[in-house]
Amino acid sequence: MKKESFFDKAGTRSVLASLVAILVGMLAGSVIILIVGLTNSSLGIKGAWEGIRLVVAGLFATGRDAAGGLTFGFNSASFGNMLFRAVPLIMTGLSVALGNKAGLFNIGAPGQYLAGTAASLFVSLSVPTSVVPAWLVWLMALLAGMMAGACWGAIPGLLKAYLNINEVLACIMTNWIAANAVTWVFDVSNLKNVLEGTKSGYIYKTSTVLNDVVIDGVRSTVGANIPEGAQVVATRGGVATAKMGLDSIFSGSQVNGGILVAILIAIVIYIILSRTTLGYQLKACGANRYAARYAGIQDKRNIVLTMALAGALAAAGGALYYLSGNTEFFWNTYQSLPAEGFNGIPVALLAINNPLGVVFSAVFMSMLQICGQKLTELTAYNEYITNVIIAVIVYLSAFMLVIKMWIGKLRKGKAVDK
Amino acid sequence: MVHQHFKLIEVFTVLDNIILGAEDTKLGFVQRKAARKKVEELSKRYGLNVDLDAKVENITVGMQQRVEILKMLYRDNEILIFDEPTAVLTPQEIVELMQIMKGLAKEGKSILFISHKLNEIMEVSDRVSVLRKGKYIGTVNTQDTTAAELSRMMVGHDVQLVVDKAPAQPGETVLKVTDLHVASRLYKHDAVKGVSFEVRKGEIVCIAGIDGNGQSELVFGLSGLEKCSGGKIEINGVDITHAPIRKRSEAGISHIPEDRHKHGLVLDFTLEQNFVLQTFEQPRFQHMGFIKFGDIRKYSERLIEEYDVRSGQGSITMARSMSGGNQQKAIIAREIDRDLPLLLAVQPTRGLDVGAIENIHRQIVAQRDEGKAVLLVSLELDEVMNLSDRILVMYEGEIVGELDPKQTTVEELGLYMAGAKRQDRKKEASA
Repeated sequence: MKKESFFDKAGTRSVLASLVAILVGMLAGSVIILIVGLTNSSLGIKGAWEGIRLVVAGLFATGRDAAGGLTFGFNSASFGNMLFRAVPLIMTGLSVALGNKAGLFNIGAPGQYLAGTAASLFVSLSVPTSVVPAWLVWLMALLAGMMAGACWGAIPGLLKAYLNINEVLACIMTNWIAANAVTWVFDVSNLKNVLEGTKSGYIYKTSTVLNDVVIDGVRSTVGANIPEGAQVVATRGGVATAKMGLDSIFSGSQVNGGILVAILIAIVIYIILSRTTLGYQLKACGANRYAARYAGIQDKRNIVLTMALAGALAAAGGALYYLSGNTEFFWNTYQSLPAEGFNGIPVALLAINNPLGVVFSAVFMSMLQICGQKLTELTAYNEYITNVIIAVIVYLSAFMLVIKMWIGKLRKGKAVDK
Repeated sequence: MVHQHFKLIEVFTVLDNIILGAEDTKLGFVQRKAARKKVEELSKRYGLNVDLDAKVENITVGMQQRVEILKMLYRDNEILIFDEPTAVLTPQEIVELMQIMKGLAKEGKSILFISHKLNEIMEVSDRVSVLRKGKYIGTVNTQDTTAAELSRMMVGHDVQLVVDKAPAQPGETVLKVTDLHVASRLYKHDAVKGVSFEVRKGEIVCIAGIDGNGQSELVFGLSGLEKCSGGKIEINGVDITHAPIRKRSEAGISHIPEDRHKHGLVLDFTLEQNFVLQTFEQPRFQHMGFIKFGDIRKYSERLIEEYDVRSGQGSITMARSMSGGNQQKAIIAREIDRDLPLLLAVQPTRGLDVGAIENIHRQIVAQRDEGKAVLLVSLELDEVMNLSDRILVMYEGEIVGELDPKQTTVEELGLYMAGAKRQDRKKEASA
């Protein structure tokens, strides 16, 4: 048998197709920047050139020098923040990718993400750290979040398996139920940030230390500063993901061990899908539900299991993001769903549902977010330009198969020429 | 063109179906009267007897085919194409169709008849062109050729048209079905209504019948793909009526499914992944939930070797990229190699060329001779007559006759298939 050349391998072609999508997305973004720049007198061609440079290499932007030109170099804060923001994207990306592998379109990631966020916030802010060590509370919160997400994901799974209700419809419904339920639950909870008066719509950060105190027989919650004469009943909060030394590498950023946890989970999912009988079953159900049933694989059980696992993954994204201790949850969510949930879809598409590819595509997406931020910071451009780029990439991801075939044809054409 | 699967609107009348797409209108109103006259004339002239006012869903398949032919004649077509027109007909209806086709040819029409059934080709055609794997092989005059020569052209080498087999040596009962009921997909009525039969070791029992008389549902009921609504199924004395599919397969049913693309294979899996579709959870292929890739590869290489499954890249070939014959060979290899007491083979040769059919028939007979019980469901009369040791004829969800292929004729079989004749099996059993 003739040995396949590097470019003829299906895997290589998939990666190339993704790169083509990214490249075209970047080009489209650059063209828009150019058009906006040329039609705006305050930007001009010079401004446009700066914008394009920032879109491509915003991650390395360090600011402006004395002469007003852009300077580039290793920016530890940008790098760290990119990794930090990639965590929820990796998890929701894995969630969507797992569903796709099993033939289910999990558009319910936002709802599962919310369910996970809510459960982990409740556990981390309610379990008294004066009794249970903080690291254990952190672990409990993560697991509680994943459990909540699994239950939330299992609902559309059950509906699909036993009542044959389309999972996309059921997922969209459960998304909005989650949004409103979470809003309502926090509304009646005592976790609303009342210590900082301006933050009325927010929940405490998990790292906030809350002391339940009794002053003159009246019970109340105060921060770390305990007023004199108060008797501390319990201490809550103060839970945050361990930095694992990453903060010293990427100084000035929000990065923490969550990224390592996310990568570990991605590897576990990769192994499950490619090496275990469970993964084989899920893929068989996804590729041909009828053949799977014919072979005695319990397709219904697998549908529920897939959705529960996908839910747990998306929920872990929410839990890891908010357990970081430096992010606050805005609980008035009833009008919108978390973008991290939906962004899992392009992340999975771009990675062609490969769990390890998801890590890279999620990091890439969060890099684009950083680029957008730099664009706003350093130029008169709006950060939303990066959303345009993401949108173009998503469109092209849908055409990935066509691009793959096109690359294949190019190769064939060359072979004939020889 | 008469398609293999008719293109008729079930809830329309015959007349409406015939004029559909070529309606004469006046001021937007359909001129049914004129159309009726023309159709009646045509049907008289060509001897195509149809009931113009009946709804298509209520008429027989044979009449539906005549409707399709009338549709072409109504449009004054000169060239008529018949794509495998006999697949759904009883032997009597086939004879009738042949006569109609000859009549049409006499009237000056040109007929293109697509078929893989050699005896029909020999009977009705004037000239035969053979295609093999998309290539034109040659054209011969029917008078100057024989069925054997045609099959050689179709396959590329000599083919044995009649299966060579010794008399059956039936042993003890393997499959026992008592008063089985299976609901139809539409859940309006039972598609299988109280079927009882036995299959013993070392015999091939064939379920014959015209497509759509409950054979598929019977198989679904036996294999567990559909729930049985009543009755009892036993394998070697173990009741499996309500067992899940995996349990049935472990109890001893291997199953060559009717639709190899829908049920038989995961087309986007590799050949080796398809080989372990039922068995991947056995300890020989997994340890603590982790797949033993090396052992699966070895197993797959052995099956490929033993059963001569041909594919581009061996074990890692995508099932989708294989030829139909080799896909079927792969399924048969998988099912036979599991070495279970009952082989359930549903139309195992559908859509395959003569060479592949010969190979599969030989394997099925070999299984029987090894002492397996074989239940064959087939729509091909040649296959039924050639391969089986006992024939059960199904008509409208019931077994209407049990025949011995050595003592019966195709004509008699046809009468049972059409429901014109039936045995009272219950009386026979008690007698």
